[in-house]
Amino acid sequence: MTIRTELRDSLIVAKKEFKILSRKKALVIPLFLFPIIMIVFFGYGMGGTVKNAPILIVNDDTGRASSFLVQEIGNYSGKYDGNPMFSVTYTKDMSQSEAESKIDAGIYKGVLLIPHDYSDSIAKNESTSLTLLTDSSDTTTSGIIVNFMKQLLAKTGSVILNVPNIYGNLEYLDFLTPGIIALTVFMGSVATTGSAIAGEKEDGTLVRMLMTPVSKRSVILGKTIYQLILQLARAVVLIFAAYLLVGFHMNGSWLIIALVLVIFTLGGVGMGIVMSSRVEDMESFFQLNMLVTMPSMFVTGVFFPLSSVPNWMRYIAYCLPLTYAIDAMRAIMIKGQGLNAISTDLIILSLFAIVTFTLGVHLFRREA
Amino acid sequence: MEPIIEVKNLVKVFHSRGRKITAVNDVSFDVFKGEIFGMIGPNGAGKSTTFSMLTTLIKPTSGIIKVSGFDVDKQDDKIRPLIGIVPQKLSLYPLLTARENLELMGNLYNVPKNVMEEKIDYYLELVGLEASADRYTGGFSGGMKQRLSVIAAVLHDPQILFWDEPSTGLDPQTRSVIWKLARKFNDEGKTLVFTTHYMEEADNLCDRVAVMDSGKMVALDNPESLKESTGSANLEEVFVHFTGEEVRD
Repeated sequence: MTIRTELRDSLIVAKKEFKILSRKKALVIPLFLFPIIMIVFFGYGMGGTVKNAPILIVNDDTGRASSFLVQEIGNYSGKYDGNPMFSVTYTKDMSQSEAESKIDAGIYKGVLLIPHDYSDSIAKNESTSLTLLTDSSDTTTSGIIVNFMKQLLAKTGSVILNVPNIYGNLEYLDFLTPGIIALTVFMGSVATTGSAIAGEKEDGTLVRMLMTPVSKRSVILGKTIYQLILQLARAVVLIFAAYLLVGFHMNGSWLIIALVLVIFTLGGVGMGIVMSSRVEDMESFFQLNMLVTMPSMFVTGVFFPLSSVPNWMRYIAYCLPLTYAIDAMRAIMIKGQGLNAISTDLIILSLFAIVTFTLGVHLFRREA
Repeated sequence: MEPIIEVKNLVKVFHSRGRKITAVNDVSFDVFKGEIFGMIGPNGAGKSTTFSMLTTLIKPTSGIIKVSGFDVDKQDDKIRPLIGIVPQKLSLYPLLTARENLELMGNLYNVPKNVMEEKIDYYLELVGLEASADRYTGGFSGGMKQRLSVIAAVLHDPQILFWDEPSTGLDPQTRSVIWKLARKFNDEGKTLVFTTHYMEEADNLCDRVAVMDSGKMVALDNPESLKESTGSANLEEVFVHFTGEEVRD
């Protein structure tokens, strides 16, 4: 069995998959429409809350007014189960660009810069200004931080709060879209791969195909090529729809997005194969699929930032590959970051792909 | 007679929920080139398991099977292009047309395009499906599916045709078409191996019949000798003679 025959066979398989898909009108339309509907409905309908958001206060002032302000932020505890909304760290002598890089790295959700003449100005009743940097790629948290600061400073009087937008003017939709894309690709690749194989097992066509000289590698490769094209097409349609319908801002590189999605789709296809090898028919597959993909949907921070969930939930999220895909997609699409910023995500996603694929090829049997 | 399939001391053991099930227990036989070879036996006799091993779908636990001189254990990829299989579960893609299903099979067997189109047209007409060539097979009757599955198995002109229960659930008309096809393929020089539950079918078609029971091959001969040696009037009585009256699970 030469590589050429295997490739030829896998293209025959991929072509067959597309032909069948094109005839399943009731599947094609929701496949592309479902994520768009999610963006529109969730985007307009949901908000969120904040817990233990890490905040840095850079206090270059030593006067009374600033220490009073710092104390008040530190003592503020939110309404949710007595958990403080912020966890505050203090420092001094840090430039704005250095502070921005801390936010970029995801260490802090917000940085408040207090100038050295703040207390003096307050004492003399002169107007003064503070600078508040927030991680606006996390629209829920940054919105709450900004509102809180505004309320606090309203008591103090003539203080102007500068809130520079590090990533442009973002809304919840911008936060949501990268997550929805990752979720869509994940659920799509797992469900369509797995259900197709389970269906082919049920009606015997898979065994029939494996009775021919085609190798199981070619069958898997064919299905993978089909999935890669399908999922990338869905992502592109989704990004354009988000741009047209809700004015999504795309800041990052299409190429890096494609890279993340290709790796993630491979993992999803592998997982679909593994799952389908454990079931004999489509109905069982969908039940299993529900069990496996549902937690990912709600725990991994598609709809709300992970910083706002309880610890136990966060620990679960860190075990789920979708978390890293979402993180990478947000870093690229909102922050416009490159490969360096998402290297950890990429490593974890690649491991996910390698493990599920190896297991999938192993479990995918020629036997009936 | 030159053997085209050689089976020696074939054993297949399945492990299911801690239980060990010996589906095929030390079976040896040859299938000769150009003959029609039938396997009969009650449910659970090991026919299907033997069939699956002969067609390279599952590997033997022990023993040797050689098909056209190739070992099923190590050279299964050499065997697959030489054999055609009509599975019991007629497996066609319901959302592909009859012609597309055939083209898919032809492509997977690497049949050259011009040869394939010619053959597809020829066979569709032969089995009376030319008018349904461009219909989705999802709406086909059992008989139509059986006829189409046979074509799908012979497009690449295999040396041996394996046929699992050719006429189960078919009306007499379709059954007679299927039998004619079987004889035609045999006349063209193909060796046929099939399993059946119809004694009449085995009697009518087979040069030799193997009787299996509880994983063993209990008899193998031509239908006439089987009847003579057991003093039976027909294969039905031969069957009962070797396998008893007890109903199997």
